[in-house]
Amino acid sequence: MDCNTCDTAPAIVFNKPEVVEVTLTVTDKAKEMLNQAFGDDRSHALLVGVLSGGCSGYMYDLQIVESTEQDCQELVIDGFRILVPRASSHLLDGIEIDYIDRLMGGGFKINNPNAESSCGCGESFS
Amino acid sequence: MGVIKLEAYVLVLRGKDCLSFLDGLSTNKVDGTCTTVFTTQNAKVIDMVDVIDKGNFVALVGYMPYKETLLNHISNRILGQDVSIGDASVNNSVFFSTEDIEVVDDITKVKTSRGYLLVTPKSLELEETMTVEEFDNYRVKNLIPYQGKEITPKDHPLACGLGEFVHEAKGCYIGQEILVRMRSRGRQGKKLVRLANPVENPTTIGKTHSLCIVRDK
Repeated sequence: MDCNTCDTAPAIVFNKPEVVEVTLTVTDKAKEMLNQAFGDDRSHALLVGVLSGGCSGYMYDLQIVESTEQDCQELVIDGFRILVPRASSHLLDGIEIDYIDRLMGGGFKINNPNAESSCGCGESFS
Repeated sequence: MGVIKLEAYVLVLRGKDCLSFLDGLSTNKVDGTCTTVFTTQNAKVIDMVDVIDKGNFVALVGYMPYKETLLNHISNRILGQDVSIGDASVNNSVFFSTEDIEVVDDITKVKTSRGYLLVTPKSLELEETMTVEEFDNYRVKNLIPYQGKEITPKDHPLACGLGEFVHEAKGCYIGQEILVRMRSRGRQGKKLVRLANPVENPTTIGKTHSLCIVRDK
């Protein structure tokens, strides 16, 4: 296997999902929490991405970033910059970003109309 | 015993996220060369694969009839990760050896819990010294499941003898909730056993014993 046969192995071309123009909503509670997280500094953005893995196949990935190398769509909602990677736009169109205020299992929560199912912890969906 | 050619595919994965990508989608902890299992959300087997970390790329060796299903499973989960997949099956053959044999540099040899896996360029194919019957007898004697026989999409990894490749403490992967629940409750439904002949509904028939998957009472 070290004889260049792997170097010349033809790449498999997969049909990539279509990039969609994402619309999303942020609940009042989530805006309140974002306000606490960002303060007056609106140079940062909330990156809402999807990674493969998790019990159901896809996992949400929320990060506060200044910038990202990922090719993203940028939305501004009530002054908050929200970045959505184009590669996962088909999975995130129409989502609602909510915040659940409770001791166990609390935090930001994504309500996703594209998800057929999600795992118990709510971080993973398919 | 000897060497036999397997009906196998060889996929080549490149990119810095290869190992973490495979780790997030399969049952074993994938941080280098290892054996792991891809499962559906219902924890049914898609394929058992040997991951071979070659440094500048990662090879996945699995069972040829399951290749398309595996590719469908993993391809639409490449989102922002740095992962590309190539197919080196046409240029390579895969052999299994029960013993550690000497091979030339261009042949990749990997020790697995089942024996030795050898990936060879087509120009350096090995001579087969073991028949299918002898391979089956070796597997029956050592309780080794094989794709198409014990390892099928009908069962989950614990039922078909792949429990050693289901990591107990790794993070989430597809099918994990079901497998963890089975383990924690001590109820896996079915299990792979070796029984003296004659055996009802064997998955592999050996000379004196056979393998079969039975209800775990």
